[in-house]
Amino acid sequence: MNFGKQLKEGLITNNPVLVQVLGMCSTMAITTSIMNGLGMGVSVLIILTASNVVISAIRKIVPDKIRIAMFIVVIAGFVTCVDLLLQAFVPAIAESLGVFIPLIVVNCIILGRAESFSYKNGIAASFVDGICQGIGYTLVLLAMCFIRELLGAGTLAGFRIIPEQFPIGVLTLPVGGFLVLGCLIAAMQWALSRNKK
Amino acid sequence: MSNEVKTKEKVNMDPKYIAKLAVTLLVTCVVVAGLLGFVNKLTLPNITAANEKKTAEAIQKVLPELEGSPVAMELTEDMTAAASGAGATVTEAYEAQAGGSTIGYALKIVASGSQGNIEMMVGVDTEGAVSGVSIVKNSETSGIGSKVMTNQPTAKGVGVLDQFEGKTAADAPLNVGTNVDAISGATVSSKGVTTGVNAALAVAGVIG
Repeated sequence: MNFGKQLKEGLITNNPVLVQVLGMCSTMAITTSIMNGLGMGVSVLIILTASNVVISAIRKIVPDKIRIAMFIVVIAGFVTCVDLLLQAFVPAIAESLGVFIPLIVVNCIILGRAESFSYKNGIAASFVDGICQGIGYTLVLLAMCFIRELLGAGTLAGFRIIPEQFPIGVLTLPVGGFLVLGCLIAAMQWALSRNKK
Repeated sequence: MSNEVKTKEKVNMDPKYIAKLAVTLLVTCVVVAGLLGFVNKLTLPNITAANEKKTAEAIQKVLPELEGSPVAMELTEDMTAAASGAGATVTEAYEAQAGGSTIGYALKIVASGSQGNIEMMVGVDTEGAVSGVSIVKNSETSGIGSKVMTNQPTAKGVGVLDQFEGKTAADAPLNVGTNVDAISGATVSSKGVTTGVNAALAVAGVIG
């Protein structure tokens, strides 16, 4: 187990959004304000870490044939817990994220990590993997939110930075999400290929 | 990869193996369900309180003279029929009182917007006039339909939700373009709210 290497993978070389291109739906839909991005990122980080640990712990008793069903049950359980806890203790975030919290169940980052990492590795490594991949996801969300909220709405975490008449409104719409995400992925790939040479 | 899909894999029909699969899944589901029940029990009071507070605030907004807490009313068949006749659904109804007498009714209406349902609280006073409209829940497009949800002014300078104040059943059916102004670019969202207000007026007509 190598924490530094796993962190580097999660953040850069195997970033869940920009390199594995997983979890597009939530990345596109909720990155319109910093608070949304933070709420979603932290929720996914917690669920991913918890489900990674549990799946790694039960990996030896799970029959191969029904592993996906088992993963989904475990993930859905954690997602529902987080959903209920958010509704009970931070209703403002639960409301603005709406249906995207329950939809974390089908977020492919979590199922992807279960299948490709925690089903094959030990508990400690899976725990670290969950945290690193979760941080990678959260940072990309925050970058998207930063660009879309600042340029699209002219605010940051609700505070007005750019006067109301100047922001590029289209960036807060779905099409703006595609544009920003496309540019980020392109920049990431360029940086990675440049590094290789 | 140890988990590659093999097209001509032999299916293991051994009853013991199949029973093992079923039992493993069953046990997992039972454990997870138990855990969820526990979390639900832990969070339910908070969630109920948060929802009630939100409803109370929405009612206070549409019937500002309200004193004390509003009384929930039972929905009658007439009320639901009146709402669906106007193209929306009434989900909750409250009677608001002040100084010991009824001052109006708050109706929670669900109407369809451009991106799904718009849930709104509509206040109707005892004269049958709309006293206020407040959006409880929506998923309208941020920056377009959301302008209607946050009561931005229309071309005439009046808040798009405020313009319903004082409308009565005599003005119904309210229509975008004739006696209601839409926010430009957000016609569907404006129409959704209008449908909801029409439904509220119809329901209030049945109550009063």
